[in-house]
Amino acid sequence: MSAPSSSSTPPIPAVPRRRGWSRSFYWGLALAVVIGAATVTVLDPLPYYETLLDHWFDPARWEPEVFTAMLHYILWLLVWLGVVAVAALLWSWLLRRQVTQRTRQLLRELHERQQVEVALRESEARFRDVTEAASDWIWEMNERLRFTHLSERFYALTGIAPHHVLGRARWEIGAADSAADLERWRQHRELLEQHLPFRDFVYQTRLSGNHNAGRYLKVSGKPIYDVQGRFLGYRGTGTDITEQIRAETALRESELRLRRIIDLVPHMIFAKDRNGRFLLANSATAKAIGVTVDDLVQHPHPIVHSVAEETERMLADDREVIDSGIPKLIAEETFTDHAGQTRTLQTIKIPFIEPGLNETAVLGVAIDITEQRRAKEEVARMRLYLKNIIDSMPSVLIGVDPWGYITVLNQPAEQAGGMSWEAAQGRFFGDVFPQLEGQFEQVRQAIRLGRPIKTPRMTLDIQGELHYADVMVYPLMADSASGAVIRMDDITARVRIESMMVQTEKMLSVGGLAAGMAHEINNPLGAILQGSQNILRRVAPDMPQNRAVADAIGIDLDQLHRYLEQRQVLRFLEGIREAGARAAKIVADMLSFSRRSESRFALVNLEEMLETVLRLAASDYDLKKKYDFKRIAIERDYDPALRFVSCDKTEIEQVILNLLKNAAQAMAEEGTPAPVITLRTRREPEHALIEVVDNGPGMDDKTLKRVFEPFFTTKDVGAGTGLGLSVSYFIVTEQHNGRLSVLSKPGQGARFSIRLPLSREAPP
Amino acid sequence: MTDWVLIVDDEAMIRENLKAYLEDEGWRVAAFESVAPALGWLRNGDPCRVCIMDMRLPDMDGNSAIRTLRQIYPDLEFLIHTGSSGYSLPEDLRAMGLDDSRVYHKPLADMAPLAAAARRLAMREDSP
Repeated sequence: MSAPSSSSTPPIPAVPRRRGWSRSFYWGLALAVVIGAATVTVLDPLPYYETLLDHWFDPARWEPEVFTAMLHYILWLLVWLGVVAVAALLWSWLLRRQVTQRTRQLLRELHERQQVEVALRESEARFRDVTEAASDWIWEMNERLRFTHLSERFYALTGIAPHHVLGRARWEIGAADSAADLERWRQHRELLEQHLPFRDFVYQTRLSGNHNAGRYLKVSGKPIYDVQGRFLGYRGTGTDITEQIRAETALRESELRLRRIIDLVPHMIFAKDRNGRFLLANSATAKAIGVTVDDLVQHPHPIVHSVAEETERMLADDREVIDSGIPKLIAEETFTDHAGQTRTLQTIKIPFIEPGLNETAVLGVAIDITEQRRAKEEVARMRLYLKNIIDSMPSVLIGVDPWGYITVLNQPAEQAGGMSWEAAQGRFFGDVFPQLEGQFEQVRQAIRLGRPIKTPRMTLDIQGELHYADVMVYPLMADSASGAVIRMDDITARVRIESMMVQTEKMLSVGGLAAGMAHEINNPLGAILQGSQNILRRVAPDMPQNRAVADAIGIDLDQLHRYLEQRQVLRFLEGIREAGARAAKIVADMLSFSRRSESRFALVNLEEMLETVLRLAASDYDLKKKYDFKRIAIERDYDPALRFVSCDKTEIEQVILNLLKNAAQAMAEEGTPAPVITLRTRREPEHALIEVVDNGPGMDDKTLKRVFEPFFTTKDVGAGTGLGLSVSYFIVTEQHNGRLSVLSKPGQGARFSIRLPLSREAPP
Repeated sequence: MTDWVLIVDDEAMIRENLKAYLEDEGWRVAAFESVAPALGWLRNGDPCRVCIMDMRLPDMDGNSAIRTLRQIYPDLEFLIHTGSSGYSLPEDLRAMGLDDSRVYHKPLADMAPLAAAARRLAMREDSP
């Protein structure tokens, strides 16, 4: 950078002294010698010379010719002088010319030198400017490595006074706090002592001016030598990098803090570029993948995570976010960690511009929701489980809030209300279950009092049929949701059974009465029956005793018999006998209801017993009139695992016989084309099952419901007492602690199932 | 074989009907309304091996009567003809060799089985 002043003419420098002569000078001298020699030769001055010498040194020899010789000599001298003058003139001219030329040259040289100097100065200034711009200051050291010079800027920047620095070595102003620092200083000092150049040596000053802490300085230097190659010291530049160091430290700390923070976060935080390379990852991410953070960063996703399918999906998501520039929430995705365990992640991916790359990358935060998901699944499973439980309850369960709006229905409730849970939710329960509308008061009361309210045996009209129900309203005491559960149990069947049992109880008392009266009743019945038998026997003509008596009193027995026949006496007698037999049967049935103080329980071979009953049925006296048991195909389906049953043999025989007779009668009445009775036994965990299955007309619902009721009969009046099945029911349930049930549909036969406990408790 | 059958029953028509039927079957029948006269007859009368005993009797119950008679006449066999449906044989009577096949419930629509049983007992008594 040249200053404007450099263009003015610089002062003419002094002409340098010359050593030797110029060439023209020698030429002139040579010419003069040649001319002189020629003149001498022409004039031959020597004789004159000798004459002169003689004259002067031999006065005797003073002669006139001497004057001539003298003239000659003078002339010779003049010639010489002329020659010299001409030579001098010539030389002078030559000289002047040379001087002019030389001056001109010098002037030119001078000007050039001036220009060079200006350029040099400019260059120097430029260099200094550049140097000072590149660095803060310039420093110089002497050969003893002591500072000799520092730019002003050094003092201004560091605030250190010159007298603290000048004459000191660098290590005298530098701080060394740690072993590493000491080592650095030692190396630096060694380097300087070896007179080697150095670059970018950073140190902190021990001294400080107005600043509390030492300044960070960065210096570079080169050794300087004189022409003889003698070490003169160092010269170099320095920069105050305190601010830079502080900024860097702050940045590093900030980065470190950020690092720590993201490493502390238990969720996976990562950033990836378009190619799936990790730009950033926290330790949670690295841990999940099973590598270190350093291994993860700068590596592409597929290399570090080996489950190809997951990787592809994740990369596709990354690209989607990068391409669209819209964050994406992946509510659930699977991820197989390094241990091979599948985890569920909830991930949000956000596009961002990676600083320095100027390219969109994706930042992801993935939260491991495996546990939550498991918990959620567990909750769902539990919910389903509870729903299954409440659905499997036979009771109608209706959950309502305090205002009577439906919150929950179980399956029986859905059926009863004719509406699904979803549809019924939020509706007033009285609208869905009109028959329960009146329970709203109980709901409020139950919630208010905090205890269940029961409405037993409520009568309901369901499709024109009278039903009974127990209704319980339970308050719900969960801390958040109050409300109530209405539980309704259709107890129609139970009520019916109960009423049946009431009747049975009545029968029992009748039975008790009958037992008390049995003797009194049976004796006259005995008299009637036995008397009838005796009468019939004693009027029979073929009995020898009769004939003997008849002969003795002189009457004809055959005539008498004909008379009795014609007057229907014998038929009446038969009628008396049958009536007596029927009365005896009724009494016997009724007596069955009386609880026997002593039942004879024994282990009975079931198959044998069934065969016995079958034989009894086939030869049944009463029933032969109505049907032919032999026409019925008997199928035996006996469980070989069930051989012995503990029971009162005669009683159970009676029950089975009764069932067989009923089945046979029903099939005979209906004219079932191929009547089949199946006798089946099965060993159940707790019970011995004996089934009597027929393929007869079956029963409708109404009959089915009343089939065990005493005195209920579908048979013609007089054909049955209506006690058979109720007695059977009594024997099985009361005396054997078992169960007697029936399954039937019209036209599909009937199946009676007797279940006797296998391990019998003490019989009642 | 002795052809005597002893009947103890307080119901006159039962007694008479049984007596008539068994007599028609060829038996000789002694029938009494209570135990005491039956004992008296046994003491004086012909040897008898079969007794048809009612349970509810005016002077004592049938079970006790059987025990008493068995004690005095160890060879006497019993058939029980009772009007109470809840009747079951006491263990001591079972120990004497009686079983459920000896028990006949009133009313008997047909007296033939009872007569047959009496005959079997009389025959058995002969056979050893």
